[in-house]
Amino acid sequence: MNNYFSNHFLNSINFYQTKVLAIILFLLPFSTILFSQTMNIDENYFSPKNRLAFGNFLFIQEDYLRAIEEYKNYLMYIDNDTVRFKYAESFYRIGKYNEAADNFKSIFYGSLLSDEAKLAFYKASFFNGSYNSFRDICKMEGYQSEKYAKDINRLFLISHLMDESILPDTNHFLKAFPDSTKNKVRELYMMKKFPSKKNPTTAMLLSMFIPGAGKIYTGEISDGITALLTTGVLAYLAANNFKHEHNFRGWLFAGLAVFSYAGTVYGSYASAQIYNAGVRLNFDNEVKLYFEKRNYLLPKINFLKTND
Amino acid sequence: MTAQSDWVKWDAKEISYEIHSPTHHDYTIDKSSFGLRILSYARNAYYYFISDVDGDNCPFFPSCSAFFIQSVKESNIFRASLMFTDRFIRDMNLFKNNNRYSLHATKKYIDPINNYLLEEKRIILTTGEFIE
Repeated sequence: MNNYFSNHFLNSINFYQTKVLAIILFLLPFSTILFSQTMNIDENYFSPKNRLAFGNFLFIQEDYLRAIEEYKNYLMYIDNDTVRFKYAESFYRIGKYNEAADNFKSIFYGSLLSDEAKLAFYKASFFNGSYNSFRDICKMEGYQSEKYAKDINRLFLISHLMDESILPDTNHFLKAFPDSTKNKVRELYMMKKFPSKKNPTTAMLLSMFIPGAGKIYTGEISDGITALLTTGVLAYLAANNFKHEHNFRGWLFAGLAVFSYAGTVYGSYASAQIYNAGVRLNFDNEVKLYFEKRNYLLPKINFLKTND
Repeated sequence: MTAQSDWVKWDAKEISYEIHSPTHHDYTIDKSSFGLRILSYARNAYYYFISDVDGDNCPFFPSCSAFFIQSVKESNIFRASLMFTDRFIRDMNLFKNNNRYSLHATKKYIDPINNYLLEEKRIILTTGEFIE
């Protein structure tokens, strides 16, 4: 009797275990669907909200080109000044200064970001390449920002160091800069006003008196000495051949000496021009490096770094 | 098992130590004017009888002969002669100012004719940019 019950009990356990196992095996393929799908199937990935979130993400990742696309699509549905600003700023950061300036203009009036937009507009115009046009824009009325007037004026003054325009008065120029930068700005101002250039005509005249002296004047000492030696040796050979009545050789060396002399005079003028071009290039690089390192003494706009 | 397939005795390989010139002379004749045609023949004769035999020895880029041809095209024969004479004297300078010239990929000094046309706006400096 006991044996019968125990066997029946064991059989019933096996039956239930098999049944549970079968159910688990049946449900196993559906488990991924049951647990993995947590998002709403009806979620619209291209909704304005998602576009803005993705645009902000791209902006922070410095992928401005794709951020522009997302902001553009967002602005088709919802008008938002912050997004407009970021849209324009994205153009600015990829070097499309014209587009940036145009888009900053759209936030000039009736916006809390009006002053920031005006500052950014001037910044975009400054980097657009033509400092003359930038200065003309600075003189236009209606674009002025009271909040950033000093910063824009400073940018206006810096533009004079970047091209061949007439420099403003020293005191007026330096007054606009903070004390911490005044010494360096004064130095740059003086370098611009009194550049250490060489006069090409002087170089040419020097070489006319002493062949090669003009090149030495422009810092090309070894070139100058070589020119002096070449012209001197050729002239000596010409004179010596004439003296010994070797007229053909005399004329040959005389011709070469004349060419050497004339070439040196010509080369001295060119050498002074190259020297001056080098002075200008070095100055331009120094000005750009100095102000770039200090963000052109412009304030940073903080909300651009957040995910707003 | 399959690596050793060649049972022939290895021979010494013929190696050429000749340095090949990275630049190739352009022998085309410029037929745009009579003067340039004559000049092209003279240049070709120089390339054939002197330069190709002597090798690629000019330390400048473009070479002095190319510099002269370009000078003639850009200005006139008289000015080109002055530019060439000046270049030739600078070529003879054994102690060249390394700061003045930037290096070409062929390790030659870059010395374009633009710097000697006496036009400041056309001067090209080491950055390779035209000065505006």
